[in-house]
Amino acid sequence: MEFLLEINVEEMPLAHVRSALTDMSERIRKELLAARIAVEGWRSFSTTRRLILTADLSAGQPDRDELVTGPPKAAAYAADGSPTPAALGFARSKGVDVSELQVVKTEKGEYVGVRKAVKGRRTADVLSKALPVIIASLSFPKPMRWGTGSLRFSRPIRGLLCLLGGEIVPFSLEGLVSGNRTTGHKLHAPEPFEIRSFEDYRGGLAGRHVTIDPEERKASILSQMSALLAPLKAEMYPDSALLDKLANDVESPFVVMGSFPEAFLDLPLEVLSTAMREGQKLFSVVKGGKQLPLFLGVADVTADARGFIRAGHERVLKARLADARFFWEQDLKTGFQKCAPRLKQVLFQEKLGSYDDKARRLEKLTAYLCGKVESCRKAPELKQAASLCKVDLVTDMVREFPALQGTMGGLYAKTEGLSQPVARAIAEHYLPAGADDPSPSSIEGAILSLADKIDSIVGVVGVGVQTSGSSDPFGLRRNAQGVCKIILDKKISLPFTRLLEKSISFYGDKLKLPKAEILDRLREFFAGRLRYLLEKEGIRYDLIHAALGAGLDDPYYAALRARALDTLKDGPQFEPLILMAKRVNNILAGQNPPSVNPAHFVEKAERELYSTSGIILENVSPMIAKGDFVQAQKVVFRLQPVLNVFFEKVMVMAEETKLRKNRLALLAAIRKTMLRIADYAQVVVEGEKGNRSA
Amino acid sequence: MSLQRLILNLHRFWADQGCYLAPTYDVEVGAGTMTPDTFFRVLGPRPWRTAYVQPARRPTDGRYGENPNRVQKHHQYQVIIKPSPADIQNVYIESLRACGIDLRDHDLRFDEDDWESPTIGAWGVGWQVMLDGLEVSQFTYFQQAGGLEVSPIPVEITYGLERLEMFIEGKDDIYDLQWSDDVTYRDLRLDEERQFSEYNFNRATIKSLRDQFALAEKEAQMLIDKRLPLPAYDQCLKCSHCFNLLDARGAISVTERVKLIAQIRTLVAQVARVFTAPEPGTEGAA
Repeated sequence: MEFLLEINVEEMPLAHVRSALTDMSERIRKELLAARIAVEGWRSFSTTRRLILTADLSAGQPDRDELVTGPPKAAAYAADGSPTPAALGFARSKGVDVSELQVVKTEKGEYVGVRKAVKGRRTADVLSKALPVIIASLSFPKPMRWGTGSLRFSRPIRGLLCLLGGEIVPFSLEGLVSGNRTTGHKLHAPEPFEIRSFEDYRGGLAGRHVTIDPEERKASILSQMSALLAPLKAEMYPDSALLDKLANDVESPFVVMGSFPEAFLDLPLEVLSTAMREGQKLFSVVKGGKQLPLFLGVADVTADARGFIRAGHERVLKARLADARFFWEQDLKTGFQKCAPRLKQVLFQEKLGSYDDKARRLEKLTAYLCGKVESCRKAPELKQAASLCKVDLVTDMVREFPALQGTMGGLYAKTEGLSQPVARAIAEHYLPAGADDPSPSSIEGAILSLADKIDSIVGVVGVGVQTSGSSDPFGLRRNAQGVCKIILDKKISLPFTRLLEKSISFYGDKLKLPKAEILDRLREFFAGRLRYLLEKEGIRYDLIHAALGAGLDDPYYAALRARALDTLKDGPQFEPLILMAKRVNNILAGQNPPSVNPAHFVEKAERELYSTSGIILENVSPMIAKGDFVQAQKVVFRLQPVLNVFFEKVMVMAEETKLRKNRLALLAAIRKTMLRIADYAQVVVEGEKGNRSA
Repeated sequence: MSLQRLILNLHRFWADQGCYLAPTYDVEVGAGTMTPDTFFRVLGPRPWRTAYVQPARRPTDGRYGENPNRVQKHHQYQVIIKPSPADIQNVYIESLRACGIDLRDHDLRFDEDDWESPTIGAWGVGWQVMLDGLEVSQFTYFQQAGGLEVSPIPVEITYGLERLEMFIEGKDDIYDLQWSDDVTYRDLRLDEERQFSEYNFNRATIKSLRDQFALAEKEAQMLIDKRLPLPAYDQCLKCSHCFNLLDARGAISVTERVKLIAQIRTLVAQVARVFTAPEPGTEGAA
């Protein structure tokens, strides 16, 4: 039977729509599954005003037989086979004739029992009960209440439509009762109308200026844009976040194109596109990499026949660009480098001083990093960028458009004739802003970004701000992820703990927590972010743990170890080596052997293992040093057969202490080598279970 | 059309919705939200409907009368309805039609924009209402005021009167608006904008503003202690306006800004507590 649910809500933000659809789908399906109701063809749709689910459900739970047991057979029947009062009583209590009782064999012996047909619950009843509970318990980042109610939801719920096989599934929520009606477009078709099926719903809304499929709306926006731009041979400057937002925000997408005075084209492109995007959610138009004095907007209408919408946007945009020009000229007049002393007035964090203090620390931290990273050859430029990177915070433009921080610093640096590496490092030092954002393109930008982020994290953690929980008030998680991402993207190998210690020392006596505690917190914190990024690469959880278990002091190498394990995990040599490593691990548990003494070997197999492992150790060391963990791992594979022979031929736990200790010492040395590549004991292999029980 | 016609249309519309038309409040405020007709009425359980015009003073927005959009004093049309009715969005849409806007030809959007006023410890969830890309109203479901959870939930609708009138008249320059049929915005406001910009940015005596702030703060605390929340709140508003002027004079560092806002917020939170939990014999929320 066809199921259809529409929750009608006042305009919801895109993130809320997405999380509500996912959570609701998951929980309703789980509820149906638990009730043994068959679910097919689950689909969800949405607009900013509607959460929509549809599927094919079985009409109800299957009927089933239930066996109820009563007294033991011996107590139920007399010697002559006639039913006793116990049997008669049981039959009466179950509402059956005593002749319907049957004998059932159980583990405890023979009993009498009765089989009863139990009718399955109807799907509609299951839904009636479950839906209001599930809807009311959906969680949102910043939920709200409305009217006199106590329910917390994304935005006020204004209607509930719920059908199963064309019939209303009755339930109520926050004073609303579910029904079979909905409304069309807020302005153009607000009258309620009746629905019998999903096709009816979809078609009825389409005729009332509502497209329920966000992908269809997005496609419509893109094709309308192409149609407008094709004659100009121009393109929309891509902005997928804005496109997603607008495809969510309108029920009836209509693209308008408008223009602004060409005179504004002398403003930097970044300023133009930000002014368009931030205030009015407009797209820029480019041709051959050059900005045109045009914009594209998405309206929630069917037409702009009289051009009012285009004209309205043009008027607002013109005023905005005039403002932007005023800020640009004002800032140029004031002078960028001249503003630097004003950073003393701008607070970075209450207990950590001003942005000027931060700039001084960044000069030192970037100098240290530059010494550690081979590809960094522009120390003086980096120092200048570090001292100026926060200056744009006091410019008028950034105060008006905070999203332009960094970008404006780079532009102003360029206008004052600073070198390109300086301008670029300043411009890029906030990157990556999000998980899918690119890292800085230049190594100077990357190092400045690393320094800035590490300085912030160390400071905030150092004054005792907790990093646990779901809130991230100082952007610590985002910053730590940025650090890990840059390290991976730029392939930066460096002594990480040392770097953190340096950063701590540049704070002088400002940090409240002791150094060791700060380092502990930071290591755990960065390990979490690194794990997350590697999981996003598709690497198995246990492999990541094994790689990070071999040490975190160089996050880039830790990632290389994880990737090496991932590359080799399906080869024939992998699993045997893991099992062998685990065997070595087990036998060494609780042992603390001295170092190996070759003079104490007696068996051929142990001498062979000693010499082979020695050669292997020699071979892998340079590979490990240069981060070639795939090769190193391949070499280590060669240990497995030799170890195998060793375990077959040699009794490790020999009675004689001298022999036993020496053999354990040999295994310990081998384990130490392997631990430089991975903590293999953390890898989960399929054969493991069988082996353990054997 | 004229601005005063717009005000009359809104007055008629919201009076028909059962709103009490409050007189403009006579202490400087940065937004209609801050006047007692909003601040005190959103607290407590008692239903309320009010609408009023309120000049909003934002000294830093002054442009000496030279910017076609920004002024250091603009006018808001403020509506408070508690509890928020189920059809309030449609009622709002009707109010635009009542102002003569034919929505068939325009793009009306409710765009996510949550509102927060740290000074009065208030926040809400809602939208900026965009008409063809121009923000004409702020639409907010209050969740907290004076640091207290509010219940039932009031809805606040704030129309930017100049913005809306520029939209209706199709004008690019605020000073070209008609206030009445024969008086323009320029006639009424240009000198005021010039003189106040000069005062706000260059002439206001910093020392005297700091003294006024301190005096009002002290007075507010005294009145809170005497359980007189209504006059105490006026003193908080005076603090807030002194703060805005000091800000326009560039006299406040970032650190001090945080501190001063916290000082006002603490006072306002006390006012809200005294107001909602009155001692026997004092006036307060029913």
